[in-house]
Amino acid sequence: MNPPAFLTAQFIVSTITAIIMVHVVLITVAYSIYLERKISAYIQDRVGPNRVGFDFGLPGLKFLRGAWGLGQPLADGIKFLLKEDYQPRGADKALFTLAPMAIVIPALIGFAIIPWGGTWVIGDIHLPLINWTIPGGPVQVAGAAVNIGIIYILAVASLGIYGVVLGGWASNNKYSFLGGLRASAQMISYEIPLGLSLLSVLLLTGSLIPTRIIGHQLTEGWLIFQQPLAALIFFICILAEANRAPFDNAEAEQELVGGYHTEYSSMRFALFFLAEYAHMVTSSAFFALVFLGGWDLIPFVSTLPIEAAPGWGGFALVLLKIFIYFSKVLLLICFMMVIRWSIPRMRFDQVMQVAWQSVIPLSMAHVVMTAVLVYLDLDTLLPLLLANIALAAVMLAVLPLLPRATANQKVRLSGSRFHPPIGERVISRPTDPTALDEHGVEAVVVASR
Amino acid sequence: MHGCLTSCGVLPGALNLPMPPLAATEVGSYAPVLLLIIMAITFAVANVVLSRIFGPRREGNIKATTYESGMDPVGTARKRFNVRFYLIAMIFLVFDIEIIFLYPWAATFPNIDHSTDQAMIWLARIFFFMLTTVIAYIYGYRKGVFKFD
Repeated sequence: MNPPAFLTAQFIVSTITAIIMVHVVLITVAYSIYLERKISAYIQDRVGPNRVGFDFGLPGLKFLRGAWGLGQPLADGIKFLLKEDYQPRGADKALFTLAPMAIVIPALIGFAIIPWGGTWVIGDIHLPLINWTIPGGPVQVAGAAVNIGIIYILAVASLGIYGVVLGGWASNNKYSFLGGLRASAQMISYEIPLGLSLLSVLLLTGSLIPTRIIGHQLTEGWLIFQQPLAALIFFICILAEANRAPFDNAEAEQELVGGYHTEYSSMRFALFFLAEYAHMVTSSAFFALVFLGGWDLIPFVSTLPIEAAPGWGGFALVLLKIFIYFSKVLLLICFMMVIRWSIPRMRFDQVMQVAWQSVIPLSMAHVVMTAVLVYLDLDTLLPLLLANIALAAVMLAVLPLLPRATANQKVRLSGSRFHPPIGERVISRPTDPTALDEHGVEAVVVASR
Repeated sequence: MHGCLTSCGVLPGALNLPMPPLAATEVGSYAPVLLLIIMAITFAVANVVLSRIFGPRREGNIKATTYESGMDPVGTARKRFNVRFYLIAMIFLVFDIEIIFLYPWAATFPNIDHSTDQAMIWLARIFFFMLTTVIAYIYGYRKGVFKFD
């Protein structure tokens, strides 16, 4: 008896991969919140969460107490579940509930096309009870082996905006409303350079299929070496798309309280947080796929075979590839967190000006440059690298010649402490008598800045 | 689609990488995505419902007001907002749709033979696209669309 047509080896492997990876991503998300707290603590010279273990208050499990605070995500989850799910007066009831769902669902399906384990040639699968034999062959260890891979991930990532807009609108809170507006404007603005920088990569690979993109990088070297400028633009854009610092204007605590999730509590608030971190995982995996060679270990050196053989040896190779891929994702997540705790937040008008007046023109020029190089058959490592450096040099050379934005600049108050009038004698000395530095500076102002 | 490209001569020799034959044009390859969507919806709904069940319920008149830094809320939040957000949305539509139309171009351009006249036309297309986009960009810039102050 023959199995139904849809039941192919690829279908079985994809289903298993999808189910496993959604759990792996959820656990990664839970622990990346822990990781973020730890990293921020060490950057700020604190210790971070270090109390909650897995002892659950039971005397028999005393040896699990502490455990570097690794029980923190679990405790957080239980706490969220037991908190009151409150809805303020005047909130749009349906949309208020729909918004966290609308943001978490795209975040959890985005990574479906990521080819975690590469290609695996498997043997025939025999199901004994119903006596079906499913023919084996090369399958991709990915949630979904579809031809439009890159388009899928872009499309799903864009859906996350709906949750932000709905959450801001439904809350009936002015902070939420402003946060939602800002976030949606920022996310749609940075989607354009994201697509354009991806375009200059697709011009080299000539395919939208994730496996082919990795295959191209196996032979030609990782694309971050060929298109460093595109990689930089892409990374800036995924930071802005995920509402991460220095682009976290949507939830700028000092001005907007919490942004679009100000009025949320309990598990609905947790879903917003979860979606943000799941988005980080997906975009890091996307970056690793496009620029860091996916599961490839060392650039320019062929170390791992492209196809894993049938049997346990091949399975071990697939696991190794998944491990390498996931390590890259985790490294990128750590990098994002270090950026968040090192770089101050940009003002909203600066964020939008960076998008529309610098990143978008630069990425358009980059696409044209790549197209010309591909036409001239110069799409190898050295010409591309040189062209990228040349474009960056041209950008830096042109930068002083461009008109400067005069809005939102500090108004110079002549005669003030910072801008004393010319010819005045300025004495700068610590006023505190106990100050250690007693050497004052005494000078005459000759020119104003 | 891939088969057509090779047989129609668009992809001479195609890619010589040892890639598996991709039978992914079938609808069946999207079935795991459907499964993922169902799992994600279940996860989202279950979490909200569970916190409804386990969480306490305490109503209050003051508690039901929205947060406005401790002050009594003034009016509604759904007011008129800056028209720049609307402009950004419109410009985004123009740019994003143009970029989406460029993806098939980008996926095919490296695969065609670059010594033919056809390749020249393909290159001219991107230049024409960029020309129209740059004109639109300069117009928008002159109109002050990209100014945020």
